[in-house]
Parts: sequence; C-alpha cells; structure tokens
Amino acid sequence: MKLFSRGCESGEAAYLIAAERLGGRERMALEVHAASCAECADALRNSRPLDAALRSAFAPLRERRTIIAPGRVRLAVGPRATAATNPWLRAPRFVARLAEVSVMVGVTLFAVGSSMDFSTRQPPSPTAPRSVVQEYFRVQPPMAEIDYVRWLRLVKADASSSVADPTRLPVGGRFDYEPVEIAKDPGASPR
Amino acid sequence: MKTHRDPAAGDGRTDHDLVYAARDGDTIAFDALFYRYRDGIFRLGLAITKDPSAAEEIVVDTFARAHRALARLEPDASLRPWLYRVAVNLSYNRRPRKGVVLSSLDDAVDEPLANEDGSPSHLAEQAELRRVVLGAVDELGPKHRLVVMLHYLNGLNLTEIAEVVDCPVGTVKSRLHYALRRLRTHLAAHPELGIEPSRQVVATGLRAPKPITAPVPLEGE
Repeated sequence: MKLFSRGCESGEAAYLIAAERLGGRERMALEVHAASCAECADALRNSRPLDAALRSAFAPLRERRTIIAPGRVRLAVGPRATAATNPWLRAPRFVARLAEVSVMVGVTLFAVGSSMDFSTRQPPSPTAPRSVVQEYFRVQPPMAEIDYVRWLRLVKADASSSVADPTRLPVGGRFDYEPVEIAKDPGASPR
Repeated sequence: MKTHRDPAAGDGRTDHDLVYAARDGDTIAFDALFYRYRDGIFRLGLAITKDPSAAEEIVVDTFARAHRALARLEPDASLRPWLYRVAVNLSYNRRPRKGVVLSSLDDAVDEPLANEDGSPSHLAEQAELRRVVLGAVDELGPKHRLVVMLHYLNGLNLTEIAEVVDCPVGTVKSRLHYALRRLRTHLAAHPELGIEPSRQVVATGLRAPKPITAPVPLEGE
C-alpha cells in the first residue's frame, strides 16, 4: 500500500504536452498511457485549452514593440574602447585634463593664499624713542561703554602693574575716590 | 494596422556571425543584433516591471552590457538566452515597489488583436478573459511566473529557459508543470475558458471526470 502517493509521473508530461510540443511518437505513447491512467487523461484533456488560454492572454503583449534606436546603447556605452587603447588618441584628452587640473590648483592656491595673513609685524625696536603721550593714551580706558567693559576684562589683570597712578583707575580693588559709607546715625537729620 | 519595418529582417547572418563581426568593430552587425532582440527583451522587461519606460531602460542596459562583454562572449553558445538572462536580472532590480500599481499590461490586454474580429461585446469578453488569465499568472510565485512568461511571452523552449534561469531542464519542466497545474486550478472557475477542475477537486464529489473520447491530434495536423 502506498501511504504517500506522488501520483503518476507521466502527469507532468501530460501538462507539458502542449507547451513542449512533444513529438508524435511521444505523444502517442502518452495517449496510450492515458487510456489506462485517469490522472494523465485528465491532465492531457485540459492541457490544450490551458495552453490556448495562455497563448491568447499573452498575444497582445507579444505584439508590443519599442522604437528604441541603437544610438541609445552607444550613448550608454560611451566612447569606443579602441579609442582608449591608442595612446596618441588619448593625448588631447590628457592635455585637456591637465589644463583643468592646473586651473583648479591655481584657483585653490589663490583662494588659500589670499586668506592667509603674511603681514610682517616688526617688534618695537629698543632703540626707538618712547612716546609718553602714546603710552598715556594706551593705558587710558576707552570712552565707549562696551569697549570699556572689554578693556576692563582683558587688561584688568596686568593693569595694576602698568598703571603709574593706581588711584586714578577703578581696577585692582582701588578707586580714584574713597567709597562713601552711609552713616547709619539714627539721630542724623536728612540733607 | 501598424506596420514596423525591422532593420534586422534583411540581415541573414546568424548570431554567431554577427557577434564575430561586432567584435571587429562592425557597428552594423551590432545594430542588427539589437534590432533582432530588442522587442523580446522589451516585452520581458515590461511583463516583469509593468513599466514601459523601465522596460526601455532595461533594453538599453542589456545591450550596453552585451557591448562591453563582446570580447568575452562565446559566439558558439546561443546569444538569446544570455541576453534574456541579463534582462531578467535587470528587470528584477527594477521591479515596482510594493503598493505601486502600474496598469500597462491591462492597457495592452484591452487592445484587440490584429487578427481578431467580432462585435465589441465579444472583443470586450476576450479582453476580460485575457485579464483573468494574466491575473492568474500574476498570482504565481516569481520562479514559476518567470518560466511561464519566458515560454508563452518570449517563446523560449525549455532548454533556453534552463539557460536563462540557470538550472537544469528537469527543474524548468517541474516549475512549468507546477505553474500550469496551479493555473488550471485558478482558471477552472471560468467555464468559458473550457478548463475543467483538477482531479483533486473532482475527487471531492463536485464533478466526475470525462473519459477521453477522441485522441489529441498530432502536432502539425
């Protein structure tokens, strides 16, 4: 007894009989077999209408055409490989590429060079005469409010050492006047 | 009726000769190969991607690859399966995303065939049957659908299909048999197609099998 029957193996050929266009002898053999095999007879009987339905369904698609020209393939392929193998034919392209690279390098150097600061600031010569007026104005606080705040933060640390008259500048915890203490005298009269 | 002049029709050279000539830089030979196979590759790409513009790109890419591979191509081997294999790979890379429904195949189905006559209702009925069959083909798995399309759309035989899908001929036979059996199960619901339900369905008591009353005519009769 067959527990797991796979069916008749000729059933495959019966389905393919229309698709594969079996030869006359094979077809006759299959038909003889189908006379005694119900499964193959069933497959054989239905293979032809199924084949006809599929051919009919795909018929409109088989009539579809395209109008692409082979020029599109040449465009996709690019220049011919034979041109690339000849070194003399590659010379103009090489010169053009060299010119491109030269221009690129030149522009880059120009851009980078112009952004760098090459100024040669000479240190003050020890022999130069000291200007008392310049030094005086250098240590004076700026007049604008925001500049004054910046100046206060930046030069606060060393201002005390450079200022000749510390009592005139409000740095280092010293002021040019003594802070006024409010006298808390309950018996004093208001001004 | 549209008429298309095929530039490759007048070229009697075989693929073997054309490949050799194209290798030597004969652009006319390559163009002849292009005109010979462009429509088949276009149809295959259209059937898989369902997008005409994608199918045209597939044609161009396939022949671009063929042009680059001319030196490596073996002219003794058949060129057609090689081209279709490249086209199938390119087509599956360009398949529409899930959820994107393209109806180009339905549009093609609606067009009456050149040799099809009859009333408008008959033509509409035929178009509907075609749509049903193509819908059943779309329900197949990708491997089985590809085998059916290569055979019924592009007319490749089992040996060529085996070269395209890179598997033995027996596997192609098995896939085609399985696909046809499933299609029969699907299409048996439409009695106008003349397809009976399979024996498994019949065995459940729905309908008794008909005996073979006449032998199937031989091919060519």
